Amino acid sequence: MTAITLPAPGKPARRSPRHPYRAALASARGRVGLALVLPVVLAGVLAPLLAGHSPTDQSDLSLAAPGTPGHLLGTDDLGRDLLARLVYGIRADLGIIALAVPLGALLGCLFALLAATHPAVDTAVQRAFDLVLAFPGLILALAVTAILGPGRLPVVLVIALAEIPAFGRLLRTGILVEREREYATAARVGGASPARVLTRHILPNAVDPLVVQIAVSLTVAVFIEGAMSFLGVGVRPPQPTLGAVLSQSMPYLADAPHFAAGPLITVTALVLGLSLIAEALNREIRR
Amino acid sequence: MTESYPSPAAPPSRRTALRAAGGGTLLLGLGLAGCRSAVSASESAEKGGAAEPRRGGTVSVAINSDFTPSLLFAQSGQSLQHRLVYNTLTRYDDELTPRPELATSWHYAEDGRSITLELRSGVTFHDGRPFTADDVIFAVKNLQNPARAAQLRATAGVITGFEKQGDHRLVLKLAHRVNNLFDLFEFMIITDRNSVEEALKGTRLNGTGPFRLTKWSPGSGLSFTRNDAYWQPGRPYLDAVEFRVIPQADALVSSLRTGQSQLTFQVPGRNLAVVKSSPGLTVTEYDTGGGAQYLGVNTTVAPLDDRTVRQALALAVDRDRILKQTLGGYGLASAAPWPKSSPAFTEAGRTHYGHDPAKARELLRSAGHTRLDLPLLHLGLPGDTAVAESLQYDLKQVGVHVTLRPTDPATAQKDLISQKMPALWTMSHGFAQVQPSTLAVSAYPFNEAKNTSKYRSAKYTRVVREAWTSPATGAAANALHREISDILLDEAFIIDLVIRGNVQVAAKDLHGVTLNKFAYLNLDNAYLAA
Amino acid sequence: MGIRLLRRLPSALLVLLVASFVIFSILRLVPGDPATSLAGPDAGPETVAAIRDRLGLDEPLPLQYVHWIGGLLTGDLGPSYAIGGQTADLIGDGLGATVELTLGALLFVVVLGTAFGVLGATARRGWVRATVRVLTTGALAVPPFVTGVLLVLLFAVVLKVLPSGGRVSVLTAPDLGVQYLLLPALCLALPSAAILGRYLKDGIERALAEDYVRTATAAGVHPRRLLWRHALPNALPPVVTLLGMQTGHLLGGAVLVEAIFAWPGLGQLAEQGLTRRDYPVVQDLLLLLVTVFVLVQLITDLVHAWLDPRIRWE
Repeated sequence: MTAITLPAPGKPARRSPRHPYRAALASARGRVGLALVLPVVLAGVLAPLLAGHSPTDQSDLSLAAPGTPGHLLGTDDLGRDLLARLVYGIRADLGIIALAVPLGALLGCLFALLAATHPAVDTAVQRAFDLVLAFPGLILALAVTAILGPGRLPVVLVIALAEIPAFGRLLRTGILVEREREYATAARVGGASPARVLTRHILPNAVDPLVVQIAVSLTVAVFIEGAMSFLGVGVRPPQPTLGAVLSQSMPYLADAPHFAAGPLITVTALVLGLSLIAEALNREIRR
Repeated sequence: MTESYPSPAAPPSRRTALRAAGGGTLLLGLGLAGCRSAVSASESAEKGGAAEPRRGGTVSVAINSDFTPSLLFAQSGQSLQHRLVYNTLTRYDDELTPRPELATSWHYAEDGRSITLELRSGVTFHDGRPFTADDVIFAVKNLQNPARAAQLRATAGVITGFEKQGDHRLVLKLAHRVNNLFDLFEFMIITDRNSVEEALKGTRLNGTGPFRLTKWSPGSGLSFTRNDAYWQPGRPYLDAVEFRVIPQADALVSSLRTGQSQLTFQVPGRNLAVVKSSPGLTVTEYDTGGGAQYLGVNTTVAPLDDRTVRQALALAVDRDRILKQTLGGYGLASAAPWPKSSPAFTEAGRTHYGHDPAKARELLRSAGHTRLDLPLLHLGLPGDTAVAESLQYDLKQVGVHVTLRPTDPATAQKDLISQKMPALWTMSHGFAQVQPSTLAVSAYPFNEAKNTSKYRSAKYTRVVREAWTSPATGAAANALHREISDILLDEAFIIDLVIRGNVQVAAKDLHGVTLNKFAYLNLDNAYLAA
Repeated sequence: MGIRLLRRLPSALLVLLVASFVIFSILRLVPGDPATSLAGPDAGPETVAAIRDRLGLDEPLPLQYVHWIGGLLTGDLGPSYAIGGQTADLIGDGLGATVELTLGALLFVVVLGTAFGVLGATARRGWVRATVRVLTTGALAVPPFVTGVLLVLLFAVVLKVLPSGGRVSVLTAPDLGVQYLLLPALCLALPSAAILGRYLKDGIERALAEDYVRTATAAGVHPRRLLWRHALPNALPPVVTLLGMQTGHLLGGAVLVEAIFAWPGLGQLAEQGLTRRDYPVVQDLLLLLVTVFVLVQLITDLVHAWLDPRIRWE
C-alpha cells in the first residue's frame, strides 16, 4: 500500500535557504495536514486528562446516545464511555506506530546497507524483499498472530515487517545512484574508506526520500492496525484502539451509528493529514 | 452492518438504485431488465398462521459454517442436515421421553443389561436397499470407532453384544446398566453401511431420511430434494431444501431480511434485536441444546485450588448483564449447566450464585486474598471477546485482575483437551440438554475421570457413575441429579454463566420446523403457507 | 526477450521454493492442528490421535512436505482437511469470487481513475481541480475499512439501496449479483483509482505541454480533440503498466475488503483455512498467491524491458 510517488532520488540535494521540511509544513497542504493531525495526536497524548472515565469501566448503560450526561460521545455495547475509548484508542495507536515505523525504517536501512556491501548479498536481500512483498500482508498478519498470540507485539512486528522492503529499496536506490556520483568517486579515489564515503556522502543525500517515506509509512501503520483489528488479530481486549473500537461497532451500525462515528472521523483525519504532509514534503524535496 | 428494512410503501426502485449508485451505474446498467433488488424482496409475507399444510416449495436455510463430512458422526460440525438425509432410532419429545422413529418400540430386560428394539419395516435407503437390523449394528460399531470422534462413544461402548432376531428385531447387550441409551439413539444417525467412506468424503450420503442430498458445493452449500419413497406417508411437504453457507453474521441476517433464505439457527445474540423488529420474520427460542457459556477454572493453579476462591468468582460475575449486553437477551442466566427442559433443572440451582460482589470480596478476604492476577483465555471472535471483557470487568470489581488472552479456536481446542488451559478460560459446552449423566460422561469439561479443570474427587466419580448406571427417571434419579448439581455448584470448577438455547429465525410463512436435542433439523412436517 | 526471461527465471523459481518452505513451516509453527480443530470441543485426546493418524499428520515433516510438493507437481491437490471437499474446488470457487471482485474493482479503477486524471488536468474551474485533488488524496489515504464502513452506512443503512454484504454470483443472477458487487468493488478500487488518476493527470499535463500540442493549439485545433486524440494516448502507456501492477495490489487488498463485506473469496478462504488449520487449503492458496505475485513481477519486468530499448539491448 506504499503508493506515494517517490522523488527521483538522483538529484543532488540542493539546500534552499529555507529548510525544505519547514517550507513543506508551511505550505497550504502542510498546514491543512498539520491541522488534521495535531488535534488527533494531542487528544492521544492528553487522553488521561480528556477522558472522564476509564476506557474499560463498564456499566448497565448500553449504547447510550451521544450527549448522555457524563458520556459526551455516548457508550458502547458494554456500557463503556466512548470518549474515553476514543482518546485512549488514539493513544494506543500512537504508541504502536511510534514503535513500529522507526523499527521498520531502521531494519530496512540496515538491510540496504548490508546489500551495498556485495552484489551477492544484494541479490539475496532483494529476493528476501520480494518474498515479504509476495505474501499478502494481512494473511501474514493472521499467521504471525496465530504463532505469537494476539497483543501489541505481533501488531508492531507486522507493521515493521511490512515497512522493511519499502525503506530498504528506497535507500538501496539512493545508494546506487549516489555511489556513481562524481563526488563519491572522487572521494574514493582520494582514499576515503567505503564506510566514510557511505556515512559522509551517500547517507545524507538519501535522507530526504526516507523522510517522505516515514510520513507515508505512518498512514500505512494506521491502516495495518485497523485491518488487523478487523480481522480479529489486533491488540488484546479490552485495550481500545481505533481499529478495535470501529470493528466492535459494526454489528450496531444501523441502531447506534454514533458507536462508529468517533474512530471513523479520527482515522480519516489522521491518515488524510499524514498524506497531505507527505505530499507537501515530497513536493518541497523534489523542487 | 445491518440495514433496516425498507418500508413496504417505497421499495427501492431501479431508478433510486441507479441514482444512488452514482458513478457506478456503468456496472448496474449491465443487466437490469426485470430487476430484483438485493435489499428488498419477500416481505409482504405476513399472513394468518393457521394455514393448511401446502405441498411443494423450496426452503433455503442459511448456515454460518459448511457441512464437514469428516465430522459426520461427531457432534462438532454443522449437524442440521443430519435429520434431513438420515433418521435416528428414536426422538425425544419436550419432556425427554423417547418417541419412535426407526425403532417403533423397545423394552429393557429385567436386569437392565439388555434392550430389545423393534425396528420399522418397509423403510428403504435412498438407493432402494431395505433398512434392517444390520444397519443398526453397523451404526453402533461405527460410533465405537475413536476415529469417528463421536462424543457419545462412551455410551456406544457400553453395548457389547448384538443378537439379531430376524431383520427387524434386535437385542443389544449392555456391559452395565446405563441411563442415557436414548441420548445415543437421539444422536446416532443410521447410515448406509456400504457407503460410509463415501459419506465421510461427502461424495454420497445415503440414508433413509425425508430428503436426498443432490449436491454439495464445498464452501457454498448443499442441495436436497424430496425423497418420494419416504417411510412417513405424505411427507415431506417440501420439494426441496437448500443450505447456503453465509459465514458472516451481518450477511446472514440480511439474507433473511431480503427473503433469500427462510430459516436459520445461527444469528448471534447481538444481531437478534434487529431481526426481531423485522416484520416478515419470527424468532423462536428452543429451550434445548445451544450450548452454555461458562467460566472454567484450572483447579491446580494457586489460589484457585481453594474452593472458596472459586466460589467467590462465581459470585462476582453478573450473569444477567452478560446475557443482556453480549447475547442480546436470548438465553437463561444460570449458575448450573441445565436448561429448563433438563430433569436436573431446579430454580434453586439456577440462582445458586447471584451477582454479589460484596460477598465475593468477603470470601476472598476470608481465604486471605485482596488482589489476584490471573490470565483468562477466550476465543478471539467478537461475541466471545465481549463476554470475556464483561467477565474481566466484573472480576476486577472484587479485586481479581484478569489479563485477557484471545486465542483462535484451534489453539483453544488444543489447550482444552490437552488440559493446558491457564487459570481461567471461558468457552461453551454442550450436552446438558439430554440425560444429565451424559454431561459428566461425554462433555469433556465435566468428565469425572479427566477434565480441563483437573478437578477430581472420589465423590464426583461415584455420583456420576451411579447416575449413569441407574434408571433415568424416578426419585432415585432425581436425588442423583441433585447430587451432581450440588457438587458442580459447590466445587465451582466449571462456573456456568448463561444457557443458550437454539434461536430459530424463520420467515413468517414457514411452519412446522423442529430441531432434535442435538440440533438436527427436522423438516418432515414443514411447509410454506400459501 | 527470451534470454532475459531465461535469466530472470531461476531467481523467480528460487523465490517460489523458499516461499514454499516458509509457508510450510509457518503453518506447522502455529499451535493447534487440523485434528484438534476437527475433533471439536468435547472430544478427548484419543479421538484427536485417531484423526491425526487418519490425516497422516503423524508422518515426519519432511515427508509431509514432499507429499505436498509432489501432489502439486502432479496436479493433485488432494482433499481439504477441515473445511471439506477437494482443495482444488475450494480454491477454484474462492478464486472465482475474488476475480469477480477484482474485475469489478478494476472497472471502477479505470472509470474513476480516468475521471480523476482528465478532470484534474484539464478542468477549467479551479474548484473542480481542487475537489479532484482532495478526492484523490482522500481515496488514496483513507483505509478500506473506513471507506467500507462509510459506504455501508450510506448505501445500506441510510439509503437502503444496496446490501451490506454477501455475494450472489454475477454469472448466476446478474441483476442481484451486481448489487452485491458494487460496494466491495468500489471500496477496493478507490486507492488504485487515485493512483491511476495521479499518473494520468501528470501524463496529460506533460503531453499538453509538448511543443506539437502547443503548435496545434495555436493552429486552432479544438482543445477536446487535443485531449482525446493526443494527450490521452500519449499519457497511456505508463498507465497501462501501472494498471497491471495495481491488479496485483487489488488481489492483495481483497483480503480485508472480503472480510468487511462477507465476500466469500480467497481472503475469506485463507482466513477460514488458517483458523481451522486446514493445511492443504492454506498451503496451496498461499503458494498460489505468491506465484501470482512473482508472475506479475516477471511480466512487469519484461514489459518494461520491451518498452525501454536501453534495457532491451543490454
